[in-house]
Amino acid sequence: MNSAALLGPYHADRVLAWENGQPMTYGRFLSDVGALADLLPEKPTVINLADDRYRFLVGFAAALVRGQTTLLPPSRAPGALAQIAREYSNSYCLVDGTQHIESLPSYQIPKGTRSPTDSAKVPQIPVDHPAVVAFTSGSTGPPHPHSKTWGSLVAIARSTGARLGLKTSDQMTVVATVPHQHMYGLEASIMLPLQHGMAFHVGRPLFPEDVRLALQNVPSSRMLVTTPLHIRACVTARSPLPPLECMLSATAPLTRSLAKQAETLFHTTVYEVYGFTEAGSLATRRTIDGNSWHVLDGITLHREAAGCSVHAPYLRGPIPFPDLVSLQEPYRFVLHGRGEDLVNIGGHRGSLSDLSQKLNEIEGVQDGVFFLPDDTGTSVTRLIAFVVAPGKGAEHILSALRTVIDPVFLPRPLHLVPCLPRNETGKLTRDALLGLMQDLQKKERHGI
Amino acid sequence: MSDVSPLEMEVAKLIIRTLTLKVDPAQIHPEAPLFGDGLGLDSIDALELSLAISQSYGHQIRSDDPDTVATFASLRSLCQSIEKHRTK
Repeated sequence: MNSAALLGPYHADRVLAWENGQPMTYGRFLSDVGALADLLPEKPTVINLADDRYRFLVGFAAALVRGQTTLLPPSRAPGALAQIAREYSNSYCLVDGTQHIESLPSYQIPKGTRSPTDSAKVPQIPVDHPAVVAFTSGSTGPPHPHSKTWGSLVAIARSTGARLGLKTSDQMTVVATVPHQHMYGLEASIMLPLQHGMAFHVGRPLFPEDVRLALQNVPSSRMLVTTPLHIRACVTARSPLPPLECMLSATAPLTRSLAKQAETLFHTTVYEVYGFTEAGSLATRRTIDGNSWHVLDGITLHREAAGCSVHAPYLRGPIPFPDLVSLQEPYRFVLHGRGEDLVNIGGHRGSLSDLSQKLNEIEGVQDGVFFLPDDTGTSVTRLIAFVVAPGKGAEHILSALRTVIDPVFLPRPLHLVPCLPRNETGKLTRDALLGLMQDLQKKERHGI
Repeated sequence: MSDVSPLEMEVAKLIIRTLTLKVDPAQIHPEAPLFGDGLGLDSIDALELSLAISQSYGHQIRSDDPDTVATFASLRSLCQSIEKHRTK
């Protein structure tokens, strides 16, 4: 069976991770992985909740060595974790803090239990091993699983690195503002460094000042793996960031003007990567160069009756785009927005019909719907919900929702209404919901 | 709500304006949690709020500063942090 090494070029004393200015080497990493792999239970699947990027990676790698699959829950909401735990009941949990899942056995990820040896062997992982399972929310039922082979993760990391011109001799360090339990975070902040002999910062800075300090605490050259939201925050705050080789952004489209501001202010190059859970990262662009995306090496795009699809040697078959796209040439495309049901709030992708279904499952809710108002361009646009729930307060519904959906999707605001403007076939059109929203806003302004 | 300071009232208004919340500033209890069960704010809000605070008061919020670990715990702790670090 074909296999691919756990990591790119191996030098035992090269730095893999920085924690509070302290380096952790690749040699130390291999010994931590070996020690943990010996301790793991004999189970097929694991939910790795580690917040620390290094510990997450030790857990992820140890699971790979043991032939296990890491599940990437769609959110950290207790209800979402419990649902995955129910579906994969023969799992265990890897933790580095206090969060755990009630129904599963938990194991702490230790660090530095064995002293590193120079002669450690780099583990080889079969390319068709299902390394992770990521989830997307469908229009009905539980989240839909998407299995990713080790071979696909390695291929995407290598082709992304080649596109960005990364050389193993650069010894670049990645600072990431995105979670590593997310496909983009896993690809760009774990797999990319691991396959190119690079390093990463173990934390996940949020505020512009956190980002500046994290970058300052790692040696040059530096790469920031982030989102349009964090880039806008750093630009608005005019953070004096240390020299930065490049920024990589994903999860939502970045505007050309913001990319230009970031490039000028931080003397850097801003790239975007485009992907979706089903296919992984598949194209990049330098945002200021224009709106067309250049697919990664090895990927081809096909126009089919129902839309465009992605083909790659590591994908089991063609995968349709969830977004509307037009092909420009075999290796370039332009995005034209999302299908009507899909929303993206601060990088979290969700389905309006799935959210509405969860709302309607709440006790006391007779009818309810989630709605995405038009983008105002000022800040992140949030969802609105209209709910018919006689005798129930908005707070009751919100606290029930909080246990089953990602907090970014919580409606803001939640309007309690006597009925929903359904048409004669029972459908709720966007126009009818827009009308309802405007009526409510008018009433509010007049203090009714 | 006699125990609400003028700064707390001002920051409550800033929070509501920045995050387009549908509450009356007087409804934000100064010691109730801003995140999770209280106002139900999340990390996107924290980021938006940190920008508004840095623009209004010149205070750059950091999450790893031991003094400000609890910054966003409540309106009151947020205002104490602003009071201590403001440059505007």
